[in-house]
Amino acid sequence: MKSVDEHWQALVTTALLGTDRREPPDAPQMIADLVADTARTSPSERMLAQVAAITAVRRAGVVPGPLLDELAMPDGDDRLPCVLAAVDRWHQITASWPVLEDEWMLTLVTGGWRIAPELLPAMLVRHRSDPVRRTRVMVGAGSTGRWLVGHLPDLAARHPDATVTPEALAELPELPIAPELAQLVDSPGAESGGMLAQSLEDGTLGHPHRAMLINLLARVRADALLDIIDIFGAVDSMSPGYGLATVLADLATTRHRMLDELST
Amino acid sequence: MGTSRWSIEQVESVAPSAAAITAAQPLASSTRWTGLGVNDAALWGSCQGSGSEPYDTMVDHQHVGFTCTCPSRKMPCKHALALLLLWVRDQVVETPSPAHVSTWIDRRSAKRTASSRAAVTGGQAASEQAASEPAGSETVDAGDVIGESEPTPPVPKPDRNTARNDRVERMHAGLTELDRWLDDRIRTGLADPSLARYTTWDDLAARLVDAQAGSLANRIRRLAGLVGASPDWHDDVLAELGLLHLLSQAGRHLGSLPGPLADAVATSVGWQVRQADVLAGVPDTDHWVVAGRSDVREDRIEVRRHWLRGTSSGKWALCLSFAAYQQSLDTSLRVGIGLHADLHRYPGPALRSLVGARHALPVDPVAPPSQTIAEGCNEVGSMLVAEPWLDRLPVTIRARLARSGGVWALADATGSLPVVDAGTRQFGAGLAMLLAVSEGREVDLTVEWTPHGVVPLSIHLPDRTVDIGPRANTSFVSGS
Repeated sequence: MKSVDEHWQALVTTALLGTDRREPPDAPQMIADLVADTARTSPSERMLAQVAAITAVRRAGVVPGPLLDELAMPDGDDRLPCVLAAVDRWHQITASWPVLEDEWMLTLVTGGWRIAPELLPAMLVRHRSDPVRRTRVMVGAGSTGRWLVGHLPDLAARHPDATVTPEALAELPELPIAPELAQLVDSPGAESGGMLAQSLEDGTLGHPHRAMLINLLARVRADALLDIIDIFGAVDSMSPGYGLATVLADLATTRHRMLDELST
Repeated sequence: MGTSRWSIEQVESVAPSAAAITAAQPLASSTRWTGLGVNDAALWGSCQGSGSEPYDTMVDHQHVGFTCTCPSRKMPCKHALALLLLWVRDQVVETPSPAHVSTWIDRRSAKRTASSRAAVTGGQAASEQAASEPAGSETVDAGDVIGESEPTPPVPKPDRNTARNDRVERMHAGLTELDRWLDDRIRTGLADPSLARYTTWDDLAARLVDAQAGSLANRIRRLAGLVGASPDWHDDVLAELGLLHLLSQAGRHLGSLPGPLADAVATSVGWQVRQADVLAGVPDTDHWVVAGRSDVREDRIEVRRHWLRGTSSGKWALCLSFAAYQQSLDTSLRVGIGLHADLHRYPGPALRSLVGARHALPVDPVAPPSQTIAEGCNEVGSMLVAEPWLDRLPVTIRARLARSGGVWALADATGSLPVVDAGTRQFGAGLAMLLAVSEGREVDLTVEWTPHGVVPLSIHLPDRTVDIGPRANTSFVSGS
């Protein structure tokens, strides 16, 4: 007696040729009882009834496939995965403030964290082509990163043989900042924030300087951020620089929280 | 008392729509009612609905009238129809009427008498009597014949019934044509070159749309995409032709199918049910876990499926949202949250539901209970026995990733299921995410069963749920 799967294959063969050329196979008893119907006189009608019944039986009879061996697991990693807030922050900064991504990664690595596993596929895809950033991801990912790429070659680096110096790995890339603003990088927050806020209010600084200001806030000393956030929050809402001050305050807030979440 | 019971046809003929009967069916259970009773004039009872107070429903089965304290503007409402259905099924015992029923019947009787006089005196008195009917009394009279002792057969409203009959007729004709088309395919064979031409399928799909069988039209268009799509496409196409035949046959014999199955078939064929009618149905209240989400492009529409599982009932529900180009999909159901809410199900045993009233703010819940792969197959099989034409079903299992040759699978000690990876190359979704997060260990996960394998949707970790379902392309929809 044919199994359901064997009978299905017979139906597929008949269907390929068409019932004009080949009679449908005799149905197994259980299906024959189901589709027995004097109203179905033509071979194609009998065939369709069989196909419908067998399809329903095969679907409803879904059974597990064969037992499979376990995958070898990645080597252990003593580092803790970064906290969930840091995971969410990475998504936020890559969407809104990509200028902060390098600092996010370096802070994570120097802080002794491991990249949370759910970030790995996205990071590996995002940094397939840039050797420095790719290497940082692999350092942050540890053994899980190598294991994952081993299983999914689509995630492999585009230039696996590129060499990266330890200095390049450890340093944040330089961002272009105008000399008159660059001096504020190391200033206390009250000083740099006050000067920037005043320039925004009186229109000396405006949207043409947006990129420079973003770079500046991405590099000002971390302990200046809270003061800058407060000062930007107090910028006169009627002044021409109010909108830009709000945007920059958001950047400063994001950076402050990012560093806080990755602190040890 | 000699009560003359109505027939089911009489009940159907007073219903404002077929959907109203469908909505009434779940309420036609004596467990939902208190104070049920019938006498030779009226039928009454109190039904527990979505409100805090039960709805008091009365039906004048002699002179055909209905009243109910529910907020529905339909007449008769689903509670009145459910009451009639209970009576038809002999589940209402004859008892003396309570005072409020007697009062209502007396008032109706007085109104009829006044109308009768008005017919003689020019209608003046009847107008005054009608005006004295208390405001908010949701009463309607369908029987115009006054003074007859036998129950008056309800008079169907010609316009509504004509439109419905016309629609049924068109659908029936469409299904007949579909079956003829299927027959041609089987006669000429799947190797027929015409199958490779999109018009072969699109013309039929267009005719099915005209025949009000939109869901079948969508299936036909999806089927066109299977031709030549894989080495085994003949298998896939033949199976789908079989299911279309099943639906077509069932759709042409709706009247002889059991109620819930008939509803399921009608929905699968494309019978439209208004959201308002669904929302007027009995709510399925539970603490729902949003267990998984998947986005699938179907033709020119992005379809988002949210799979919810009731923590008390263990039942699954499906909430759909749709977006055309640059429209937005529903983002209110974040995967992993718990929702204490009313869900209103579409007619039949359908999974598809609408979220109604939410009783609390979303909370982070415990994960849905998981099971072995064998148990998961049983659960899916049970759902497919009820509706073999379903092509996506949710199930939560505990499993690990494994490889069989070049194919990824989910495995445990009871067996394996192949993984359909819709998202390896997607940014942060699919197989890559499952592999990264599980690191090869067993995890609890919700997957979507399809005839070709399972699609991983979410990983339930002890402290959170990670959404890894296929995600709509943001260049097509916004805010996904």
